[in-house]
Amino acid sequence: MKITLEVNGTAHTLDVEPRRLLADVLRDDLGLTGTHLGCEHGICGACSVLMDGEAVRACLVLAVQCDGSSLRTVEGLAGPDGEPHPLQRAFSAEHALQCGFCTPGFLMVAAGALEADPDLADKPDAVAGVVGSNICRCTGYEPIRRAITRAAREQREASSTHER
Amino acid sequence: MEQWTRREDERLLTGKGRYVADIHVPGCLDAAFVRSKVAHGSLRGVDCTAARRVPGVVGAWSAADLPDLPPVPHTLLARLSTEEAVAGREWPALVKDRVRYPGEALAVVLGEDRYRAEDGVAEVTAEIDPLPAVVTPAAAVEDSVRLFDGLSNTALRGEAGEPVDPAVWREAAAVVEATYRQQLLMPSPMECRTILAVPEGDRLTVWSGHQMPHRLRRELAALLGWSTDRIRVVVPDTGGAFGSKSAAFPEFVVVAYLAVTLGRPVRWIEDRLESMLVATRGRGQDQTVRLAADADGRLLAYELTIDADVGAYPHLGVGLPMQTAWMAPGVYTTPHVHATLRSVLTNTMVTYPYRGAGRPEAATAIERTMDLLARRLGIDPVELRRRNFVPPDAFPYDTPTGRRYDSGNYAAALDLALETVGYDEWRAEQARRRGDPDALPLGIGVSCYVERSGGEPGGLHEFGSLEVHEDGTVTARCGAAPSGQGHETVFPALVARTLGVPEERVRLVEGDTDEQPEGLGSFASRSAQVAGAMLQHAAQLLIEEARHRAARLWGLPADRAAWADGTVHATSGGPAPLGLADLVKATGPLRVEDRYEAGMAFPFGAHVAVTEVDPDLGTVNVLRLVAVDDCGVVLDPTVVHGQAFGSAVQGIGQALYEGMTFGEDGVPHLASGFLDYLLPTYTEIPPIEIKDTCTPSPTTPLGAKGAGESGCIGTPAAIVNAVADALGTADPGLLQMPLTPDSVWRAAHAPRPEEGVR
Amino acid sequence: MKPASFDYVVPRTVAEAVQALAGPGRTAQVLAGGQSLILEMHLQRIRPRLVVDINRIPELDGMRVDGDGLRVGALVRHAAFERADAVPGPLGTLLSRAVVNIAHPPIRSRGTMAGSFGWAHPASEWCAIGVALDATVEVTGPDGERALPARDYFLGPHRTARRPQELITAVRLPLLGGHTGVGFVEHRRTHFCFAQVAVAAALTVHDGVISDVRIGLVNSADRPVRARAAEQTLLGTEIGPLPTGRRLPDGHPFARAGRVAAQEDAAPVAEPYADAEYKRQAVAVLVGRTLREAATDLGSRLAVRQGDPR
Repeated sequence: MKITLEVNGTAHTLDVEPRRLLADVLRDDLGLTGTHLGCEHGICGACSVLMDGEAVRACLVLAVQCDGSSLRTVEGLAGPDGEPHPLQRAFSAEHALQCGFCTPGFLMVAAGALEADPDLADKPDAVAGVVGSNICRCTGYEPIRRAITRAAREQREASSTHER
Repeated sequence: MEQWTRREDERLLTGKGRYVADIHVPGCLDAAFVRSKVAHGSLRGVDCTAARRVPGVVGAWSAADLPDLPPVPHTLLARLSTEEAVAGREWPALVKDRVRYPGEALAVVLGEDRYRAEDGVAEVTAEIDPLPAVVTPAAAVEDSVRLFDGLSNTALRGEAGEPVDPAVWREAAAVVEATYRQQLLMPSPMECRTILAVPEGDRLTVWSGHQMPHRLRRELAALLGWSTDRIRVVVPDTGGAFGSKSAAFPEFVVVAYLAVTLGRPVRWIEDRLESMLVATRGRGQDQTVRLAADADGRLLAYELTIDADVGAYPHLGVGLPMQTAWMAPGVYTTPHVHATLRSVLTNTMVTYPYRGAGRPEAATAIERTMDLLARRLGIDPVELRRRNFVPPDAFPYDTPTGRRYDSGNYAAALDLALETVGYDEWRAEQARRRGDPDALPLGIGVSCYVERSGGEPGGLHEFGSLEVHEDGTVTARCGAAPSGQGHETVFPALVARTLGVPEERVRLVEGDTDEQPEGLGSFASRSAQVAGAMLQHAAQLLIEEARHRAARLWGLPADRAAWADGTVHATSGGPAPLGLADLVKATGPLRVEDRYEAGMAFPFGAHVAVTEVDPDLGTVNVLRLVAVDDCGVVLDPTVVHGQAFGSAVQGIGQALYEGMTFGEDGVPHLASGFLDYLLPTYTEIPPIEIKDTCTPSPTTPLGAKGAGESGCIGTPAAIVNAVADALGTADPGLLQMPLTPDSVWRAAHAPRPEEGVR
Repeated sequence: MKPASFDYVVPRTVAEAVQALAGPGRTAQVLAGGQSLILEMHLQRIRPRLVVDINRIPELDGMRVDGDGLRVGALVRHAAFERADAVPGPLGTLLSRAVVNIAHPPIRSRGTMAGSFGWAHPASEWCAIGVALDATVEVTGPDGERALPARDYFLGPHRTARRPQELITAVRLPLLGGHTGVGFVEHRRTHFCFAQVAVAAALTVHDGVISDVRIGLVNSADRPVRARAAEQTLLGTEIGPLPTGRRLPDGHPFARAGRVAAQEDAAPVAEPYADAEYKRQAVAVLVGRTLREAATDLGSRLAVRQGDPR
């Protein structure tokens, strides 16, 4: 079946079997291997990507369902000039990753939440909801919470500087 | 680089990390396995005919189709198993005639991709006559159902220490007894197991997320009948391991064999559902303890009896309970300690090291029993521990079980933990709540642990080298293979610090057997203690070599050439100092390599948990967890604290959430993956505070002991003790991990003969 | 863990969807949010020959207040109920308190309420609310439309009165009146698993007397349960002041209702780490707590209405 996906700003026309999962199409057909498969049953969240701005499990979405959709993966998180996203800097600064396998999923769920809510920094419950969406077996989560909060603060400060 | 805390971070945060499943090799086939749905049975036959006709399937084979398929290699590494245990108990890579654990591979299908391979799997049929399954040591030890005809299910008996004189028990003021279940756990790294085997000419390159690439190379070479130099094992980014990724698993044998036989690249990317069935388990011990003390609470004798569930085939896990036996005494000066064990085969996937590997079982047993004794004697559990600690001036301390503890200050760790948690305040709050019938019961649990790091004798060394390039940069190589420990950052920093050169001039290469021909790997918390010490040692060799070369160049005696800040200079006047680049230009290639052996080390610590229990539902709410660890000299506090935090969360997992139950047919209830096997999520994480004390190890020049397993070892008993303290439970057998709400509710409503005694 | 092959169609109208489902001799599955369906397809516990993706049928999207009810279209995602004011009155509060227990945000952004009714998992929060409140499941099939009352709809785990050729187009829930307070309490082992037990309650009080009460039990039987026997014990009871302590006294009507729900309404199915005895205990405790939460909610509603700043 022919579909068109816009991934990280680039349009791709693909011919995919209906059963192929979005995660497999991103990884195998488009070579975007930053999206990891950790459980393939929607629990761990390592495969989370943004679909039309909302975080979804790429293992619980068929690629054909995304025909015409805009997708964003960890490869599209940094700025066009390669400038790291505040979340990427914050994850490193807070030691919010060890083996790094779950990291892209956390980054994308957090990116979706940050973009949807510029005031995320003031909402610890919402941050907890983000951290509580995925599984990490290395860090114990607390550094991830700190990193997301840090990035949210940075983003808000950056936007208020812009407004001035 | 300064915007990244670790060198690993940039690629891992931008999607440029490379795990085995990310490696694209043209023409690579995906392997999928046909797995037994029964736990135990006689295999009548497997029919792969229909699978071979499925579009996109390249081949399908059962054991009958592959008569030359080698068996799974066992290992006798570090006394952890014996010839006797494995004799007559071969582990076939594909089932030949008897299924011994659920999910055991009956056949393999290779497809152009995983979808097609699974299409093929769906078409394979197998005929199995079910046999009764035994999934606990208690059920298996009777030998009424044997896994191997004519052989006992007990694969190994072992002991540490001397039997205790019965008079000691008779005459002691207090004797407590208990039984504990150390449940089977799934290590559950977020990346499951992986192997990609690529034949190239007369060689085979194997990519695998693995902890011991050189062992994998050696074992694959042996099973293929090849010399080791024909195999290259490369470990790319690895998504966690926690002990579970160091063997040549049945699926690895099949993949390597088929890749070589077909002359085509083949990979197996284990999925989570397979992992639930056939990834190695950790822990799995049924324990009985007896502890005696005099009226003042001085320990007299301790006895630990272990029936260990080692799974269906004797492998490394057979000897793992010896680790528990050796570490049985814990941090106390108990004069008589005797530990005995039976390693029992059961119809479960094999038990194998999982973060802690034998030490959590020892620490949990003694620490739970200390609380039981404290309750019996009416002594505060903290005070009871203080009276029995091995004192700081007693090191090195020889335990009755044959361990020599290198160094320790157990009271200092406990003091810091109590001060950090606010022990007296929590005891006051506990007393207040006991007077308020409407308040939720609150408990405080202490656990003081000592563990062993680095490995066992024969496995305490590591290999490595330093090579200086003409531009003065240094390449460090070693035999370790990280899975999230940050070696690329920590090791170059250590080498740079030793040499006195800027960090960015040193780069690490590891996890590639062509780059580093010999090595042991990453296990037993040995990164800093063994590999770190090896690299520091290599740096010192490099300094010596540089001094001698410079002295020769200058025509001076060697003792006139000194090393400082990355340069050699003459001790008085004379020639201009030489940096590493100049030295290489002037004297040729500069490379040092060595094998370095560290001593065993014994990290320790004290963990304190405060819990609140809802007796009506049995839920446990951890209000606070303080973990004080002493792993000697810390190379990188950020990395070590990160390890300690994550480890503590895994310890919480064992205490409260992780476990599996079995159906009547012996198949574990794990069909819905992570909806059945519950890992801690952020919602369950209490406020955790990590602190450390520093008692250097005298057995290694860095003074570093192993870090990273502390939480799995120290935390579970702290939590269980806190729950028992909250409930005032008299019968410790009622509280078995995981402390699920139903079990805690039952414990909360069990009769309490000791009502009123804390 | 990959889905087996299937055919895939994307109808643009309900009629097209129904036509696709009615195709001869094929096991068809409706794909809305897919968060259970695709999971089951991974596990190969479901191997449909045809998947009918209804996500591009505009008429199925959106929810609206319609008389004294709320009509939730088949494509309305769980996330739509996260804000209490997304739906008017106490119903909005109840749905918002329940929805946070459904998985986590990335699942809630895809999964749908109607999908939960279609899947009919005994641990579904929505389904228990549905039976408690007398929801109606609207389906369209080859023979036209049917409205199925929730009480007759659930037949067992994943078994419903919907015929295979029928498409759920909407779920209709009654709006709750002004004198009603609501509660939802869930008990589970970790954030990432199904409820061991959960309870939904709506409590209506006039002049200090309980005039209506609805109690829904999650995962307390092989299907969602409305705890009618427990409700009966409360009707006509004076609500009185709520106890001040944490624990309901055993003699309190809510505690009594909990015990009745556990013994008479629940028919627990044993699961790992929760046998029937434990589940009955959890039902008893949670019913009491949920009713108390509902009473508290009612108190604050009345306080707001009377302009009482408390």
